[in-house]
Amino acid sequence: MAFKKGLFKTSIGRKNLMAFTGLFIIFFLIIHLIGNLILIIPNSFFPIEFWNNVANVHDMYNAYSHFLVHFWPVTIVAYILYAAIIIHVIDALLITLKNKKTQGEKYIIADNSTSSWYSRNMGVLGVFIGVFIVLHMAQFWLQYKILKIEHDLYHLVIATFKIWWYVLIYEIGIIALGFHLVHGIESAHRSLGVYHQKMMQIVQLIALYFSLVMAILFAIIPIILYFK
Amino acid sequence: MKLTLKIWRQENAKTKGKMVTYEMSDLSQDMSFLEMLDVLNQSLAIKGERVIEFDHDCREGICGQCSLVINGQAHGPESHYTTCQTHLRSFKDGDTLYIEPFRANSFPVIRDLKVDRSSMDKIIQAGGYISSFTGMAPEANAIPIHHDIAESAFDSAACIGCGACVATCKNSSAALFVSAKISHLAKLPQGKVEREERVQWMINAHDEEGFGSCTNTGACAMVCPQEVQLIDITRMNFEYNRALCHSKE
Repeated sequence: MAFKKGLFKTSIGRKNLMAFTGLFIIFFLIIHLIGNLILIIPNSFFPIEFWNNVANVHDMYNAYSHFLVHFWPVTIVAYILYAAIIIHVIDALLITLKNKKTQGEKYIIADNSTSSWYSRNMGVLGVFIGVFIVLHMAQFWLQYKILKIEHDLYHLVIATFKIWWYVLIYEIGIIALGFHLVHGIESAHRSLGVYHQKMMQIVQLIALYFSLVMAILFAIIPIILYFK
Repeated sequence: MKLTLKIWRQENAKTKGKMVTYEMSDLSQDMSFLEMLDVLNQSLAIKGERVIEFDHDCREGICGQCSLVINGQAHGPESHYTTCQTHLRSFKDGDTLYIEPFRANSFPVIRDLKVDRSSMDKIIQAGGYISSFTGMAPEANAIPIHHDIAESAFDSAACIGCGACVATCKNSSAALFVSAKISHLAKLPQGKVEREERVQWMINAHDEEGFGSCTNTGACAMVCPQEVQLIDITRMNFEYNRALCHSKE
């Protein structure tokens, strides 16, 4: 079999690509979450002895974001990440378009009790996440890194999360992400062929609890900032 | 008992079909679902109407010939049952049942509830076999196989090829069907000889026949009359990726 065709063209190859890019994006989510958690460190925690010039959470968050923008290995990983997201979306579209073609006539009575709604609607959840990412990038990434309008990212973040509708959009995006992750993590491992029954049970548990923890932590930060 | 049946009637693959309502009365709860359709067909034949065509053969749940989607569920409301093993006691007096054919682009309707499932045969022809010398039956203990592995291979081999997995799948993917055969043969020493070619041939045939990508919703395994497990699909993916990594091209 031609390796290229096998990896990119067949029904399983396409799913492999989804799994690889999806898992890479999850790795990024963990890093992103750690960065976000800086925002809710109480000010009484400072000054941190081992880091002299950081006097409060404002300094620490800006130092962290400055590091992300100016440390070149991070830039390389960021470009890989953009590529992964774009491939994930294009591949999802290709799979969905093909799967739409394979369906026959619709059932007059459809019974969906045999599978979870979020596993059937990964595409819909993906659209929610996609819209959220665009808004999110426009609000922070574009203003801070590209247009350089705002030099104090901490102030921008705090100001943004005082807007109630932005917090609401953020929360909806995170809920969609949580459900997307529960099925995505399990499905990725299945696509890549973790075919041990016990191992798969562990993967399912990890998928559930990981998604739950990620969603709760991501969701709680803007709420704390809103009421602070 | 009384039932209202709404049955899909379609002349052939080229014409459009529609639901036709039939009222049934004096039914026994002990009748099988197909016996009820026989009774209906008998009454249609007496009236001189064209009878409802549906697939059936052994009527004991082992041949995989019966199909039907009853109220949106492939093979009816009982989980892991075939339609022929479904009895009217599974329904309540006065129920309305929507009876539709298995729907997928790869399963064109032949007439009414009958669909052409030969696309699945083509997948099996592409690689669902082992090549070995024929002749005298070999000594049974010549190749030692662990009991658990033999049992596990048999669980996968239990697939009767009915196509309920395809009918249930939102992507019309035949992954469960293909993976049952691939897992069955990949687990056994006799099947290991051609495991890499087999998975490629069968997946290529699966795609060429117009089945979709599996998205692991797990709906197929919930309706499978033979309880083929979702883990078989995972095993198939492993076999495929293994073949991909060993690929010399």
